Parts: sequence; C-alpha cells; structure tokens
Amino acid sequence: MLFGLECRKIFRSAAFWIYCVLSVVFFATNYIGSYGGPLYDGVEGYKMTEDHDLVMSGATNVLFGEYASNKYVCYPFGFYKAVHLKESDQKRIADYLMEITGTDEKGFEGLLGQGTECHVMAGFQEQLEYMYEDMPVAEGFSYDRFTEIMTDVDNLLGGGSEYDPEKLLYYYGQVPMTEEECQAEHEAFIKDDRITGGFARLFSDYAGIDLAILPVFPAAFLTAADRKRRMHELVYTRNVSSCKLVFTRYAALVFTMFIPVFFEMIAALIQAMIQYKGQDLDMGIMFTLPTFWLLPILMCTTAAGVLITEIFSAVTAIFAQVVIWFLTVMMSSNMLVGQIGKFTLVCRHNSAGERAAFLAAQDNFIFSRFFWAAVSLVIIAAAAAVYEAKREGRFNGFKLFGEGGLLRRQA
Amino acid sequence: MDKRITIQNMNKFYGKKQALFDINLTIEQGMFGLLGRNGAGKTTLMKTIAALHKKKSGEVTVCGVPVEKAKKIRAMTGYLPQDFSMYPNMRTDEALDYLGALSGIPAQERKKRVDLLLEKVNLTEHRRKKVKELSGGMKRRLGIAQALIHNPEVIIVDEPTAGLDPEERIRFRNLLCEIAEDRIVILSTHIVGDIESTCEKIAVMDEGRILWKGTVRELIQNASGHIYTANIEKQYMAQIKKEYIVTGMVAQADYITVRLVSDAEPDLPNAVLTEPDLEGAYMYCLHANGCKVKGGEE
Repeated sequence: MLFGLECRKIFRSAAFWIYCVLSVVFFATNYIGSYGGPLYDGVEGYKMTEDHDLVMSGATNVLFGEYASNKYVCYPFGFYKAVHLKESDQKRIADYLMEITGTDEKGFEGLLGQGTECHVMAGFQEQLEYMYEDMPVAEGFSYDRFTEIMTDVDNLLGGGSEYDPEKLLYYYGQVPMTEEECQAEHEAFIKDDRITGGFARLFSDYAGIDLAILPVFPAAFLTAADRKRRMHELVYTRNVSSCKLVFTRYAALVFTMFIPVFFEMIAALIQAMIQYKGQDLDMGIMFTLPTFWLLPILMCTTAAGVLITEIFSAVTAIFAQVVIWFLTVMMSSNMLVGQIGKFTLVCRHNSAGERAAFLAAQDNFIFSRFFWAAVSLVIIAAAAAVYEAKREGRFNGFKLFGEGGLLRRQA
Repeated sequence: MDKRITIQNMNKFYGKKQALFDINLTIEQGMFGLLGRNGAGKTTLMKTIAALHKKKSGEVTVCGVPVEKAKKIRAMTGYLPQDFSMYPNMRTDEALDYLGALSGIPAQERKKRVDLLLEKVNLTEHRRKKVKELSGGMKRRLGIAQALIHNPEVIIVDEPTAGLDPEERIRFRNLLCEIAEDRIVILSTHIVGDIESTCEKIAVMDEGRILWKGTVRELIQNASGHIYTANIEKQYMAQIKKEYIVTGMVAQADYITVRLVSDAEPDLPNAVLTEPDLEGAYMYCLHANGCKVKGGEE
C-alpha cells in the first residue's frame, strides 16, 4: 500500500525526527513544565461581563493615562509598540475625552490634573507616566458612540491598541469572580470537565502554537526530496495519478506528524491522573478534543508547506509559514481565553478552567475546525494540480532567490 | 496493437527558443539509437515521447496513443534519465518496490517482479545494500530495473553508459539488447560505440534537427568514398587537424597514421581511401549537413 510506503519513507527522514524532538521539547517546557501542581487551590479568577458602563469607564481611565503620558501601548501583529502622537492627533484624543466625559476644556483640564504620577522603567530609562481612576463618563453616553470613538482612536494609533472595539470587552469587561463563582468554576472543572476536559483545552492551546509552524519543516523537505535526490523524473513517469500521489503523501505526512502529538496527549493524561489521583477523570476527552482542535491546524500547515514548496521551494515555504505563524499566533497572543472567531486557525484558550468562556465560543470553534480542514483539502488539491503541471512540463516552478530568481536585484 | 512510435512535424520550444525543429521519425520494435552531440536535442525529444515535456506542434503517438494522454503513456513507458538517483537511504529492493507501487502494481506481484528484475540486472546479491552504497554501474542497472518494473512496451534510456567502466558498459549494452527483444528501446547517446554494438536503426541529431535516419549500415555506406587514411609526419599534424576532420590517430615510430574525413581525395602523400567505420560515418554525416565539426582540432 502506497500510504504505508510513504510513511516508512517519512520515518527515515531526518526532518521528521527533528520535528518530533522539537515537538516534545516544546511540550515538555511549555506544558508539562508549567503545570506541575493541581489547579484551583484557592486562586481567584476573573470573568468577562458585557457591562458597557464598566467597559467605558475602564477604557476611559486608560485613555486618560496614555493621553497624559502621550504614550499609547499597542500590539500590532502581537508585538509591543509604544505610539507617540503628534499635537494635532493629541488634540483629537482630548476632544474625544471631553465628549466622553461631557466636559469643556476647563473641566477636562481639571480631570487631567487628577492623575497619579508613576515612574516606570522603559529599557534602562525611567519614564514618568500617569494613572487615572474613576474618570466620569457623561450621563447617558451611548455605547455605540463610544465604540465609534474607540474605532477612530484605534485607527489613529495604527491598529493593535486596546481600544479596538472587538477587544474592548476582553480588556475592560473583566471583573473578579466572587467566592461563589470561583466555587462554581471549580465544580465545573471537576464535574463537567471531569478535570481532563480542562487540561485537554490547555494542552490543545499549547500544542496548537507548535503545530502552526513545526509541520512545515517535514512537509517542505519531503516535498522537495524527489527533486533534491534527482529522483523526480523517475516518479513523474510512473502510472500513479498526481492526485493520488499528492493526497497519499499528504495523508502520510499528517498521520506521521500526529504521532508525537498523540504520545504527548498520553503524557498529559498521565500527568493529570497523577495530580488528581482517585478522582473521576474523563479519559477519552484527552484524545478527542485535542484531535478535533489540532488536526485542522496540522492539516493546514502541512498543506500550505506542500503547495508553496511545489510552486516555489522548500526555503520559501518555511519562510512563508514563519510569517503566517507570526501573524496568526502573535496577533492572538494578548487575547488568550475564549476569543475564538469563525475563521481562527490557531484557537487559544490558555486556561484549564473558564469552561463557560470556551462554551460561549463553541459554535465558532466547531465552524473554524471544519472550515480549516476544508481549506486544507482545497490547498492540497491545488498542490496536486501544480504537481501534474510540473509532471507534464507545463510548469517548472517559480524561483524567488538566486540566479534568474524573481526577487533577484537587477544589476 | 501498433508497436511503433511515430513523430510527425513535431516542434518544441523552451519559451521563445526553439529546441526541436520539425521532427519526423518512426521507431519500430527493437533497439533504436539516437546519436548526437551534447545539446543536440536528444533528451528533449525523449522527454517529449515520455510525456515529460509538452510539444508545441505536430503529432507524437506511442503504440497508437497520442502523447497528450499522459497517464496512458506513463503506463506503457519506462524512462531512465541521464542524471538520476534514488533515495540514498532506501535499500535497493525497497527503492524498486516503491517505484513499482507508484506504477500501481499490487504488492504480491511487485514482490515477484522485484526478485525477477534484480536477478535480470544481476543485483540480487546487492538487494539489501542501500542505494548510496551502490557503484555507478550498479545504479544504472537498478535504473533499468525500475524502468522495467511495470513491464512497459517502450523503454527510453538517456546516456546510460556515461561514466561507466568498459566492463560495466558492455554488460549494460548486453542488458539493453536482451530487453529489446519484445519491446521498443530507445537509446540516446553521444558515444558511437554504444550505438555500434547495440542498434540496427538510428537517427543522427544536431541542434534540434534530425540530420539522418536509417540503419547503421546505410549510414556507413553513406560515408563511403569520404574516409581516408594517411601516414603523416608528426610535425605536420597540427596543419592536418586544421584542414581535415580527423577521426582517428595511431602513433607509429616516425609518423602517425590518421583517419580523416574528406569530400575529395586529400592532397596528402600516401592517402588511401578506406572502409568507413561508424565513427567516421557519423562525423561525415555532421560535416555533410553543414555542422561545424571539430574532429581532431584542438
């Protein structure tokens, strides 16, 4: 069976074993290393509300502080950036703050004077910043108008700020849980999630980050192997259809690269069994949820690696995947719980608890898994079409770098 | 079933550059030699027959099947490229088995064919060796075995003896002759000796054109009356090389016996008309077709 032969070929490749080692190292350091003891030992949690007054108040306090310091913290593409506005833009922020607080210039100056000075270290330099509390929001000020203003502020800052209306609830709608709520959360962890359900989410959160990048290495190197080994013409002249060959090789890649993930699931389950000895654990969910969560990520990363290698080269595929990885993973790196969109590839839920937040996004989660699995199959179908074109001599791939490369600077 | 390859008015371009010019050729069962210099267009022609390249115009059919039907062509063609290798860490029998699987041969039958072919190419005792451990000649023999694994009607081999020692070369030629008994084998080479000892029918190519096609005997006859031998004193050799196409030299005590191509009787003492060999006939063919030939000239 061709599938078996392809798997055997992968097992013999260095790229696969490097992938396995990196996967296990990431798992050991990020997951096993971080969760050495039982959760919910009296630690208080936070919950997200849709309290618009709370959100407006919180965002206004922060905006006052950043305006006063003229230092706005943003995370474009997940990376920290301090934005300093020019005078005219600062004036616009001041106008918005006056509108939100319902004050004139004099009243605004008065509010501005209520800030608390604090000295913070920025690199090796000490900087003066201001913090504000309880800044008033004008009576009856609508949330719709508030989000309009926040949209404009976010645009003014170049995006990635904490004023992005889609993230306002996440940043400013969090309130500490009451003792009862903490207790309920704990019970949900023990009874509904049966402990391992929570750990399955946490495991998937960590493993998803690795699977969004690591599979591209075996995918790219093994796709390029025929040409590198000067074997491609022997394969091109075979009877097998391009569709069957590319899909079989793809299936073998996905299957073999899931094997270390499977063993990591077992290790995570054993860890939970040791920590929660004698308690009722859901054994199955430690395998089913991560498989459903992670397989589309693995499928997509692998498919993209195969297609880009077929069109360009293995190096380009790795480079492109690193860029995509930064964009997808780093962009969501400051919203780690319950923020799962319909088209999110790398779903984040960096908590063994907060089951309710995850369930709230469950529809999006399920949709996104099927969506990306389908996208992966479309990508690999495209790769099969490219392979057939190369096989028939209609296409020879694009070269980006080196002599005759598309990106080579003209002398 | 039509057991012929027919090529009619075929042209092939690489971008704007024309690589093959109006090729017309019929290849029948048995060994067929394609002789030409490096860069003559032999590989391009063979890749087009093997459905690895698209032609621009004309018709090519392999045993009655147009080359546009790539899947069918792949099923009936075995191809051994000039520059090939296999996964270096695979065992010899595994590499053959893998390529057999890609040809759609069921596992049970594959096992039998692998055994049979390894026996045929004399690699049975090396079947457990990794591909990277095989010598150049062994790799070539493995290459022929992979081309035969699906029992194709047509075998195309491109410069198969390049880099082989004389013993391996002879063994390889004999192997080709054996497998050509019941199928078409196209042998592309720039080594005249390979053609001479294996093929009856040949075509001579240069710069993307077929210069000559027919039997080896006809090519030799064609050169009859144009090949001479002469005994030349050593100090005149440089001059001779400039004026004539020298196809062979044998150093004697005081002089050199040269074989040379000439349209008319050369103005040399002792020049004698001689029976042409294939090498001389090939050089005369190039010369007669206006190709720049550097026979002996340095």
